[in-house]
Amino acid sequence: MTRTMARAILVLTFLAAILAPWIAPRAYDHQYRQAVNASPSSQFPLGADNLGRDRLSRLLEGARVSLLLAPAAAALAVLLAAIVGILSAYLGGVWDRLIMGAVDLLLALPWLFLLLAVRAVLPLNVAPRLSVTLTFLLLGALGWAAPARVVRAQVRALLDSDFLLQARALGISPARVLTRQLPPNVAPVLLAQFCVSVPAFVLAEASLGLLGLGVSEPLPSLGSLLRDLESLPALHASLFQQAPMEMAAMLAPAAFLVLVICSFQLAFPQQEICS
Amino acid sequence: MEVPLFFTRVSVDYPGKPGVLKNVALDINAGEIVGLVGQSGSGKSTLALAALQLLRAKGVQASGRIDFQGRDLLRLPENEMRQIRGRDIGLVLQSPLASLNPALRIGAQLREAWEAHARGTDAEWQAHVRELLESVSLPSDAAFLRRYPRELSVGLAQRVLIASAIMHRPALLLADEPTSALDAITQDEILELFARLSRLRRMAMLYISHDLASVASLCHRTAILHQGEIVEFEETSRIFSHPSHPYTRRLVGTLHLGDREFA
Repeated sequence: MTRTMARAILVLTFLAAILAPWIAPRAYDHQYRQAVNASPSSQFPLGADNLGRDRLSRLLEGARVSLLLAPAAAALAVLLAAIVGILSAYLGGVWDRLIMGAVDLLLALPWLFLLLAVRAVLPLNVAPRLSVTLTFLLLGALGWAAPARVVRAQVRALLDSDFLLQARALGISPARVLTRQLPPNVAPVLLAQFCVSVPAFVLAEASLGLLGLGVSEPLPSLGSLLRDLESLPALHASLFQQAPMEMAAMLAPAAFLVLVICSFQLAFPQQEICS
Repeated sequence: MEVPLFFTRVSVDYPGKPGVLKNVALDINAGEIVGLVGQSGSGKSTLALAALQLLRAKGVQASGRIDFQGRDLLRLPENEMRQIRGRDIGLVLQSPLASLNPALRIGAQLREAWEAHARGTDAEWQAHVRELLESVSLPSDAAFLRRYPRELSVGLAQRVLIASAIMHRPALLLADEPTSALDAITQDEILELFARLSRLRRMAMLYISHDLASVASLCHRTAILHQGEIVEFEETSRIFSHPSHPYTRRLVGTLHLGDREFA
């Protein structure tokens, strides 16, 4: 029941993300100068931000950026993990130890600082579209280490399995074993790793965005939308004096993020993810 | 193609566990079924895997000679060995469900085994697989070939495994405890199948088991393996009527005890 609901929410959010340019009431980057910091109204259902841009349209566009690129980054990470994991397990011996040592080293680095460092080395002043691609490319390129360990463990178990021994006893070549016998047995693990990586990358982008190192203006992402919350106390002396409607509108991106991440965790059976 | 297989002074040492096999000598003639009996851990499976050079990956040392059709299998390079595996020597492992690839359909697995040593059109494959499956008393319809191993009973899975092992009409079949996972009736059917295949195809067979009753009913000659050594290798009837080695006498003793209990 919970799973069906979670899946329904995911389908709806992804549909909204894909159709954002068509269903958004306004352009996400148009500044309505007369509506700076406007409260929620029929004109601006979630109000307008400090540049007079429609929050709802920005949320939809931000969801589009985050929810379409996070799977792309997860696909990249899982692909790298599959190559590294299968190779490491198959080569075995010294190679296995070397590769897994490198993976452990990568895992031991605090990833947020690593992302910050790498992102800071790259040019900050780039076109919005490029900054989006760069951010998620980076997430994918740095996020393969943990899945690689899982893939390698699975492949090691498979290489010791009776059915691969039987395959070799039938005279099936190593190339054929690697391309035909092994992959369908690794696929469920890759899928599970993909499903875990997507919400992790959405969150990672949000963290980067919050620090101003993610997607650049005027393009919104879930991370940069959360940044608006920073200015909330500055605008009003006390958070609690906000009109409830206005509070809800400002917290919408955070609520949306929580909803999407929770749905991701609930939409897939846990044992599949853990395996 | 007489005299398929000779083991001469074969010894196998595992890293950290020397003497798994010690100076083993064994021969199997064409069309003959030789039984290899021993306790768990006596080296039975090692002997079968050594003949196919499938031990090498684990850093195992094998010495001696294993002659097969005039060639020493222990000294063949990997690429020549691969040509022999599945084509000239078949292997059937103990647990049928674990020995089939869980993610591939039965048809796909059989086809993989076929394409390891043969090329041909779809029509040729269809004809081949139909004849093959009939020879092991399996259905050969499309619905059966589309099934996954998890949808098969153990008995059916074992027949699929045997079918893939005899796909290329090997001169020799190594069966490593092929019936130990089966119930009594299925076991009986599989033993009958082995006897028939060996008779019809003049296929030599090494039947490895710890089950004396099945060895007695199937094998022409029987070797007793005890702590890595062959302590007795005789006509099966003679092993059971006149066991000479103390270990054999104990083995045969347990069998007779069993008979009396169930009689």
